[in-house]
Amino acid sequence: MAKEAISAQERRERALMVLTPLVSVLLALVVGAVIIACLGKDPIEGYRAMLQGSLGDLSKLSKTLERACPLVFTGLCAVFAYKCGVFNLGGEGQLIMGACATAATILGLGGEGVPALALGLLAGIVAGALWALLPGILKITRGLNEMITTIMLNYVALYFMEHIFKNVFSDQGLPKTVALPAGVRLPKLLGAHVGVIIAVVLGLVVWYVIFRTSFGFKIRAVGMNPVASRVNGFPVRRLVLLAFIISGAIAGLGGAVELMGKTPFRLAAGFGAGFGFDGVAIALIAQLNPIAALLVALLFGILSTGGIMMQSVIGVPTAIVDIIRGMIIIFTVAGMASIKLPQLRALIASWGSKSTEAEASA
Amino acid sequence: MEGVSKRFGSFYANRNVTLSVEEGEVHTLLGENGAGKSTLMNILVGLYQPTEGRILIRGEEVDISSPGVAVAHGIGMVHQHFMLIENMTGLENIILGDRRHRTPLLQEAADRATVEELMERYGLEIDLDARVSDMSIGMQQRVEIMKVLFRGADLLVLDEPTAVLTDLEVQGLFDIMRSLTGEGKSIIFISHKMREVMRISDRVTVLRRGETVATVPVAGATEQELADLMIGQKFTESTYRKVEDAHEPALTLCEVSWHPEVKHGGLKEVSLAINRGEILGVAGIDGNGQAALAELVTGLVRPESGELVGPDGAQIALFSPEAFIDAGLGNIPEDRNKMGLVGDMTVAENLVLKQTRSERFSRGHGAWLKMNAIERHANRLREENDIRCTSVNQLARSLSGGNQQKVILARELEGHPSLLVAVYPTRGLDIGATEFIHDQIVAQRDAGCAVLLISADFDEVLKLSDRIVVLFEGQIMGTYPGANPPIKEISLAMAGK
Amino acid sequence: MDFLTVLPTILKAMAMGAVPILLASLGELFSERAGLVNIGLEGLMAIGAFVGFAVAKMSGNLWLGLAAAMAAGVIVNMLYAFCTVTLCSDQVVTGMAINILAPAVALFGYNLFVGSDPANATGAQMPSIAIPGLSELPFVGGALFNQTLLAYLAFLLVPLVSYFFRHFRAGLSFRSVGENPHAAETLGIDVVRMKYVACVICGALAAAGGAFLTLCYTPIYIDGIVMGRGFIALATLIFGRWSAVGVLGASLLFGFFDGLNVALQAQFQAAPVMFFKMIPYLFTIVALVFFGSRRAGPRASGQPYFREQR
Repeated sequence: MAKEAISAQERRERALMVLTPLVSVLLALVVGAVIIACLGKDPIEGYRAMLQGSLGDLSKLSKTLERACPLVFTGLCAVFAYKCGVFNLGGEGQLIMGACATAATILGLGGEGVPALALGLLAGIVAGALWALLPGILKITRGLNEMITTIMLNYVALYFMEHIFKNVFSDQGLPKTVALPAGVRLPKLLGAHVGVIIAVVLGLVVWYVIFRTSFGFKIRAVGMNPVASRVNGFPVRRLVLLAFIISGAIAGLGGAVELMGKTPFRLAAGFGAGFGFDGVAIALIAQLNPIAALLVALLFGILSTGGIMMQSVIGVPTAIVDIIRGMIIIFTVAGMASIKLPQLRALIASWGSKSTEAEASA
Repeated sequence: MEGVSKRFGSFYANRNVTLSVEEGEVHTLLGENGAGKSTLMNILVGLYQPTEGRILIRGEEVDISSPGVAVAHGIGMVHQHFMLIENMTGLENIILGDRRHRTPLLQEAADRATVEELMERYGLEIDLDARVSDMSIGMQQRVEIMKVLFRGADLLVLDEPTAVLTDLEVQGLFDIMRSLTGEGKSIIFISHKMREVMRISDRVTVLRRGETVATVPVAGATEQELADLMIGQKFTESTYRKVEDAHEPALTLCEVSWHPEVKHGGLKEVSLAINRGEILGVAGIDGNGQAALAELVTGLVRPESGELVGPDGAQIALFSPEAFIDAGLGNIPEDRNKMGLVGDMTVAENLVLKQTRSERFSRGHGAWLKMNAIERHANRLREENDIRCTSVNQLARSLSGGNQQKVILARELEGHPSLLVAVYPTRGLDIGATEFIHDQIVAQRDAGCAVLLISADFDEVLKLSDRIVVLFEGQIMGTYPGANPPIKEISLAMAGK
Repeated sequence: MDFLTVLPTILKAMAMGAVPILLASLGELFSERAGLVNIGLEGLMAIGAFVGFAVAKMSGNLWLGLAAAMAAGVIVNMLYAFCTVTLCSDQVVTGMAINILAPAVALFGYNLFVGSDPANATGAQMPSIAIPGLSELPFVGGALFNQTLLAYLAFLLVPLVSYFFRHFRAGLSFRSVGENPHAAETLGIDVVRMKYVACVICGALAAAGGAFLTLCYTPIYIDGIVMGRGFIALATLIFGRWSAVGVLGASLLFGFFDGLNVALQAQFQAAPVMFFKMIPYLFTIVALVFFGSRRAGPRASGQPYFREQR
């Protein structure tokens, strides 16, 4: 009897866990509305403008998808890493280095057409993987906290990119690189570059690897209980390192896609800004589910492009969107923690026993 | 304590318990693991709140809502697992949180004088300036006792204090206890070790399954009577057949050392052979190198000197859990939650933990997991091993301890291991689960497996082993037969003699 | 390059560069000693930077700006405290959430603030105060003893904090909460309250560190002004080995590399400036490699505390 209640409780808890991000989004939007109202503007009009501006017509939709695209990559980067217990906060640096490698390969080697495209993507993958390899090695050999090392490398990558676009491939001395030639850009489909499709496919692939392969199984086990994993013969250090490498590669691919897919096809100041932490936020809100991460990235894309429209219609600074994003994640974190709290668990369990009592007496 | 009950969810840890302690007496609370002793005492010291019942001190009802209140009433507890700050000195641990001085500054000199006076009075030897992590277990315990004395405790609760002490240290403890009761202090002594109970107590209250069974004065009782009250049935002799002829060894340790300079946790020149078709039991008090031995034999650490020899006579060079598992190791680790199971994975996933790349459960060496096959496999093992759970897709951590252990057992035995290492396999389990696991272990032995049983539960070792070795401070003290074991000799060996 | 002529500039930059990190790191010291790993320092500093800047500008009083910044930091960190102490959420995840939310709030506030009056973009700065006598010392005098009052206060905090942990009853209790909260609880120490107090202190100090950036370092606020210093503060705590004095040394070391970066930029104007800018961050990694043993930290750091454990 007791065992049945536990399983039903488990089901209820799981349902609540899925509900939490949804409720958090709604709550954050409500608070955002309150802030807008306090500024003397009309929140309904604001949100309508947001939806209009992001999903209103095909061209706006494709802009939103393109805006969400790099976030999918950094989001999946964070998801894969955290699934293995690795806090890779260097998604931004890995994305930037990926883009730099792509720029260097294409602008440096010349070339056109599909082979050049493929090479560019490959360069991005390799660069991203290598950029994450260093913190990975430091973690498994010396136990260094990867949060700090990956973030430090973000800044190093940032300055490296500055070097690339100010000195190496500068466009006539301007602080931006030469644009990628037309032959090496990602083709568009219905207005959005095909990188979006790559992103979605990647999301499905990552889901599959994590949940349907032996490798993903071991990665998850290490993330949940590294001690038991080791006792049962898993090569924990190797798996952790692979988690670093793969998550870095994903982010690097994202950088390549972003450079080759999105106008102006150049590296300049502000390239990739904020994508890294957004990716972490997406991973946390999606509760480390790759498919959910796709949806959350889309949401972030909507907020982003919609925010611009909202600013022009009702005059509220776009930073409100950042606040809404921040609140979604805080509410999600708080919500998930509350559900796991012992007192609340008992409460949830008692709902269960009341309902079974009711069934029994009915 | 009158009519005290404590409920956790639907589980009653204590039910209608009544306990009364007199001034100047040593009152023992006797009971098996899980009888509810610790819970009851946690209520007394304010860590838990009783669901029902009341507590009276010198006839007046009190509400002990927090540890601070308990201390104010003169109650102090020395927990089984010490509540000490390892990175702080003895003195710091003793004066921590104490509020007798009005100033916000520490009054170290004055407090030191008070403590030293108490040390004299009761014969407690403590190095006040040593870090707790550098102290021996015996001294750490004395620090714990001093903590409660410093706060003016008149009623001391000692929770299984002798579990980690050598015989000599136990004597020292008993001397201290007598000097305390000589001055009118009362002691509640929690134990399940009959011999000590008989030695030191004035009266005994027996708890079984959370309820009081009886309160008797020690003077008129015999060990057998108390044991019967505690277990509720006559203590029976081992029903397992003991094997006496030696087969060939599956694993041999030759003069193996690991951190030999560490007395409580290292291994020094250990030589032993684990033979097929035999259960080798390692007896000893927890903390004498058992964990290190388990880690060595399962490939988690490599020896610093000496060698391990495999069944073919070749020296083992590669120390990794993976290599050992491939060679036929089955491991039932000490801490099922930390080492044996991935709690957040389902029961089914835990049952195939090591086999996700095999043909049975995947295509293409792990590229495509056969989810149905995994589930069918789990259901089959669940039936065969009587694992009680609603569904194999349930999270492993939601199972009871006994069922969790059955999952581990099912998984490890499925591969027909040639060497089974079981470390304290029935810790915290009820009688039914314990018997099941013991039966399984013996069945493995009968099928030709080599079994290494490491357990701090002496009775378990006696019951199952065909041969017994004793581990003390990292060294093997002697080898004894499992059939008709010389208990006195073994006990002495466990204490170092 | 004449190293000796450049040295005073570097030393002055070292002292200035060290202060924000020192403040944030000291705040984190309190937090981690109470068992809470707060990686949201970056966000707290951003809030401190903005609020300090805005309030100072609006009121005309720099110290009021500092006080407001500290108050804002406390409020934001209460969010962290509630989530981690009461709800027992994962500390790292919650810290990241703060890192995302707080700068967003700061940016939003800043946009509103400047939007209402573009002149708001530049604020006042704290004057440097030269200590008579000491500031005349060769090399170091002008650099180390000619700083703003806030910098002096920050340095003064170091011996005070050290003394607190070693000689105050509350200091001992505080440490125990991070080492073994269950033991502390059995001795009647209110663990939950101490954790909240730690969060108040951490929020206030980290925000003060951020305020230093806009009140003493530069007269403007930009998005991202913190530039990773919050994370560097985490590193300085580790290689300062969780002692106030160690943190001071580590912060000064970082400040030195920060100053070196600026000096090298001035000297070698032809060379790619970016590589100099990388120096502080690479240095942090190198320092962690050599000194980054986490084993010296409070034992129960990072673990959530459940009152009644089964």
